[in-house]
Amino acid sequence: MVVLMIAAILTGWQQQRTVQAERNAGQALDYDAWLKQGWRHPHNAADQGMHVFKPDPPLSVIDPGIDPFVGSTIWLRSHRQSETKFRPAQDATGLKRFGNLSPAWLLQVLGPLLVIILGFSAFSGEREQGTLRQLLSLGVSTRRLLWGKALALTGALGLLLLPAALLASMAVLSNLGSQNVLDVAARLALLGSAYGLYLGGAVFFVLGVSALCRTARASLFLLLALWIACVLIAPRAIADFANRAYPAPSRLAFESGLTKDLGTAATKVWKANFGVSTQWDASVPLNKWGKALQVDDRAGYGVLDRDFGSLWDTFERQQHLQELVGIIAPVVSLRSFSMAAAGTDFSHHRDFSESAEKQRRRIQEVVSDDLVKHADPLGNQHFSYKAGPAVWAKVPRFNYRAPYAAFALRRHGISLAMLAIVFAISILFARFAVTRRPNF
Amino acid sequence: MLEAVEVSKTFGATQALKGVSLCVKSGEIYCLLGANGAGKTTLINLFLDFHRPTSGAVRVNGRVVASAPIETKRDIAYIPEQVMLYGMLSGLENLDYFAALATGGRQPNKHLNALLIEAGLPADAARRRVSGYSSGLDPSAANEFSALLTRSRERGVAILTTTHDLFHAKQTGTRVGIMKRGSLVQELDSADVTHSDLETLYLQHMRD
Repeated sequence: MVVLMIAAILTGWQQQRTVQAERNAGQALDYDAWLKQGWRHPHNAADQGMHVFKPDPPLSVIDPGIDPFVGSTIWLRSHRQSETKFRPAQDATGLKRFGNLSPAWLLQVLGPLLVIILGFSAFSGEREQGTLRQLLSLGVSTRRLLWGKALALTGALGLLLLPAALLASMAVLSNLGSQNVLDVAARLALLGSAYGLYLGGAVFFVLGVSALCRTARASLFLLLALWIACVLIAPRAIADFANRAYPAPSRLAFESGLTKDLGTAATKVWKANFGVSTQWDASVPLNKWGKALQVDDRAGYGVLDRDFGSLWDTFERQQHLQELVGIIAPVVSLRSFSMAAAGTDFSHHRDFSESAEKQRRRIQEVVSDDLVKHADPLGNQHFSYKAGPAVWAKVPRFNYRAPYAAFALRRHGISLAMLAIVFAISILFARFAVTRRPNF
Repeated sequence: MLEAVEVSKTFGATQALKGVSLCVKSGEIYCLLGANGAGKTTLINLFLDFHRPTSGAVRVNGRVVASAPIETKRDIAYIPEQVMLYGMLSGLENLDYFAALATGGRQPNKHLNALLIEAGLPADAARRRVSGYSSGLDPSAANEFSALLTRSRERGVAILTTTHDLFHAKQTGTRVGIMKRGSLVQELDSADVTHSDLETLYLQHMRD
């Protein structure tokens, strides 16, 4: 597992270096192309638009989250808000994730397994051997024995995982670029505490189960069964449940709904402004087309905000529901918090998408403004007007800054709280388990 | 001093102990005799707080075990029939671990080594892993063990032991108790009986 972990960190690190460089270069090139597109009709320029790239957060080395599933590039074109792919891939679990060996996945799924392997016989094995009886006859309290064993188990775990953790931190810090060091450190601390609570909870839970079992074999079987149920099956089931509780439309249904809503809104404003019943009706004089573009665009903004907003709210509601049910399967809470702390979850994605949409509207406004200003006085020369670099330069460079760690904590603090609760419950359970009369 | 006052213990439907009272004073070796299932081990488990009595109480040096389980165990040295050691550890490491838990602190290695030598273990036992060692008592080890019990008794230790060996009970023990189906059916001073008397008595109880 340690080898896998180190391999995962190194490949992630290397990938991030290249991806980040490519994205920076891609976006810079794209913006340069926009500036240097020469003399063109503004509407054509807007139709071509530009591409913006979501910066790869430095912690994606540890947890790539939904980024591999939703993509990172948005095409800012006229008339319509684009999305990166938006399948709720953050729910993907189990086999689907096997292709995606991240350090976070290893810790979330194999971490508890490691704890089980190290600790399943802590009490049950000693009971079976008869040494537990001897230890207790010495006047050692079972609670002290529990803390001692927890300490030993944590130490062994630390010995195995610490090198990987150090390597991961170094990988993250070496790819920092222009990122805020303090923010990255805060996010690392959040990740550390979440995984600490999760694995700490696993330590006490495993010890508790071991204390309740008569034989080492029984405790191993029970723990493995629980691992399969809670770590492999439950997340999938919970995701399905969340999808059913807050159903999201299919991509196709969403697109056609959006088209319909946009059409309705547009028809209304075209009617109000130009007295026609269809968009781009031939009876609207060409010298009004600049104004028409502006009116048409602006009519869409509200619809886009509403439709995308409700779709995204649905995704976030699903996510929050999952976080709450995480009390049964802490791995679910951990997964969503880990993604959030790494900056690769849906909330961060939405933040980026919203600011990309703002940029798109900036382009649209610049273009339609220019067209209104240069409205064709002759009546038939609308398409021969060409704007130049001065207009293109009015669109600022897209400088997206990912939100700070506090954003992650505000949105997903509940998950961290769930993990803390599970940790506390595990300790209480282990204390109860060891103080129960042992059956010799 | 070990005392049991009218202790009963039931496990589900079975009554393992039915109002047993006994007292082992300082300087006594009390041998419990009886068939398997007579309740000897259950009684010992009560003294170690491995089980709680259903009624009655057991006391160690006057303190009730159930209300002071840790403190009373500090006054007890428990030697199971089969002493179990950690196979992964050497003899010295085993001793180090158990001694640290018993005394609440690590003991100096010199001290531990001296103990191992005193116990007559082969010179390399301290370093070797203990897996493969048997803790069963061969005749000479059994003899040594009896001598150890006698020395402890002379130091004023109260000793409660279970055995199937009547000869041992007569030779080493000062008091003998015979248990049957959860009751203590007879108690006697081993000085008062001959070996053959004890055997006759025991067999008689077993037959009834």
